[in-house]
Amino acid sequence: MTYSSFLQSEFLILWRRKQDVLNALLFFILVVALFPIGVDPSPAFLAPAAGGIIWCAAVLSILMAIEGAFKEDYLDGSLEQLVTSGLSLPLLMLLKVLALWGCVVVPLLLIMPLLSEMLFLPSTVFWVLILTLLLGSPSLFFIGLIGSALTVSLRQGSMLMMLLILPFYFPVIIFATSAVHAAQAGLSYSGSLAMLLAMSLLSLVVSPVMTAIAVKASVN
Amino acid sequence: MRWVWFHKLGSPKWFFFQSKSWVLPLLGLGSIGLIVGLVWGLAFAPADYQQGDTFRIIYIHVPAAMLAQSCYFALGAAGFVYLVWQMKMAPIFIKAIAPIGAVMALIALVTGAIWGKPTWGTWWIWDARLTSVLVLFFLYMGIIALQSAFDDVMLANKATAVVCVVGLINLPIIKYSVVWWNTLHQGATFSLAEKPAMSAEMWLPLLVSVVGFYLFIAGLVLWRMQSEILQREHRSSWVKKEVMDRGL
Amino acid sequence: MQSSASLTISDLWIERGERDLCRGLSFDVRPGEVLRILGGNGTGKSSLLKAIVDVITPIEGTIYYLGKNVTQCRDVLIESTLYIGHAVGVKRLLSVEENLRWYCPDVSSDELNSALEHLGLWPFRDTLVTSLSAGQTKRVALARLWLSEKTLWLLDEPFSSLDAKGCTILENRIQQHVSLGGLVVLTTHQDLRLVSARDVVLLS
Repeated sequence: MTYSSFLQSEFLILWRRKQDVLNALLFFILVVALFPIGVDPSPAFLAPAAGGIIWCAAVLSILMAIEGAFKEDYLDGSLEQLVTSGLSLPLLMLLKVLALWGCVVVPLLLIMPLLSEMLFLPSTVFWVLILTLLLGSPSLFFIGLIGSALTVSLRQGSMLMMLLILPFYFPVIIFATSAVHAAQAGLSYSGSLAMLLAMSLLSLVVSPVMTAIAVKASVN
Repeated sequence: MRWVWFHKLGSPKWFFFQSKSWVLPLLGLGSIGLIVGLVWGLAFAPADYQQGDTFRIIYIHVPAAMLAQSCYFALGAAGFVYLVWQMKMAPIFIKAIAPIGAVMALIALVTGAIWGKPTWGTWWIWDARLTSVLVLFFLYMGIIALQSAFDDVMLANKATAVVCVVGLINLPIIKYSVVWWNTLHQGATFSLAEKPAMSAEMWLPLLVSVVGFYLFIAGLVLWRMQSEILQREHRSSWVKKEVMDRGL
Repeated sequence: MQSSASLTISDLWIERGERDLCRGLSFDVRPGEVLRILGGNGTGKSSLLKAIVDVITPIEGTIYYLGKNVTQCRDVLIESTLYIGHAVGVKRLLSVEENLRWYCPDVSSDELNSALEHLGLWPFRDTLVTSLSAGQTKRVALARLWLSEKTLWLLDEPFSSLDAKGCTILENRIQQHVSLGGLVVLTTHQDLRLVSARDVVLLS
């Protein structure tokens, strides 16, 4: 096994499981639709809340997408093969996150114009929202993958994984939505974006190592 | 060797016998501190000129909130020690202290709500401190749930250690972000953070109560660790001898 | 330890959950030798193989490979080891050929095709593994034995779910490997007909 053959197969499998990504996207749109239906459909409510709604929905659907990231590999034994491949496990995990991130976030960004229109998000703020998603979502994936690796050997692991991981998403949601709010109020939002980037970089350093430890513990 | 004690810490047997004589004094001292601090604070300390007697809940609220955080730092440190040195005592410590930290966070939340009712007029307010303690409570519950989910002890040890370390790294970020979020969403409400120069008669009992809480919890953790050690090492001969000779 | 042995396990002690497995186990494998690990269910045959490739950390014991103590740093051993576990590590959503490319990306198409032909997988090379039978899936995993050039083979129940013809093909391949100086450690309940193996019996 080499790093490139690993990455190639990851992409191939993600491509063949495109229905899962599609489901996550549909789930995302449904969660967004809950707010106008459940709270208030008027632009007066939706426009200021749009950033928060989109981010909460994005976090939930990303969790859905990450949750099963290792399940198949664990059951068919290929996780064991990764551990015994002689390649660096943290590096493999990093590649895995990046592949998954690309395959989930790109479609998410593509439907964003539609959703921001549905939530009456001002077009000036739209690009800020996109930026927060681009800068903030990597840390969601990095942290989420640790939880996914930890709970992969459990039969009913997905609920536990969400319980474990969601508290860690608080800061990301806070800084992302505050950037959107600041942009809506015409204030400077670069500080929040910088924080999002910083968190993604920190989790980039920490997460592959932790995920590797979790994977090694799970396969034995 | 200066590091001998550190390696010995890894041995449950050594730890068990070393810590045995500590439990009762710690629990005793802690109880005395608790009783003195709480009676003093609740009955004898002067009432606050603004909040009247309601402020007296700080004698429970503040120590509980402090402990909830301290316990998490201890958890994170133990997780780190386990991941780096594979020290056997670290997961035992984590298992012993996690529920205590959760209870402390819960006490801080409940007393905070009780305090909030007369002060703010509502049971709950999305105040920075209450929110971060709430997050802390969820972190504790996640760790406890994870630990009890595994049948395999090794896997449970590793998994909880990983979460503890990740949590320790994230805790300052969570705290900072919540404080920042709070200042963004609310103006200057009455904040628990402001200390309007407490008089000595008020903070002395608080100090006694905090020390009492810490000592009591330390004793409790040691006690829980000892029973956990006995359970984990139940196959070894020294545990059998210990239980046979002294009973439980 | 004998210098002629390539892999030496000395005084190994593995624990699973609360149970001790193979406490104080020692054996060695010399080049050109097939070692068969026997033992009832739950005696730790699979765990032993996992301990050698560092998936499980043994409590005690030393592992020597090519005369070096590799207990702490297993890199040298893992580099020349081919391990096929109980779950064989064949991805359902990849085709047969893609699976083998995932595992051995450097082989030429000729080698790949001849291995597939050998195992009767040639007609299925573009089929997703999901739609193959258990025996065929096993063959996909075993195709690695033809494609990679590792010295030490650790095979956990390689004969399970194979038909008689598959078993013969596999035994021939093992025989060929050891005759070139390779090492094979395998667990099985089955009698080997073509290969002469030394047995290690694990007791519960």
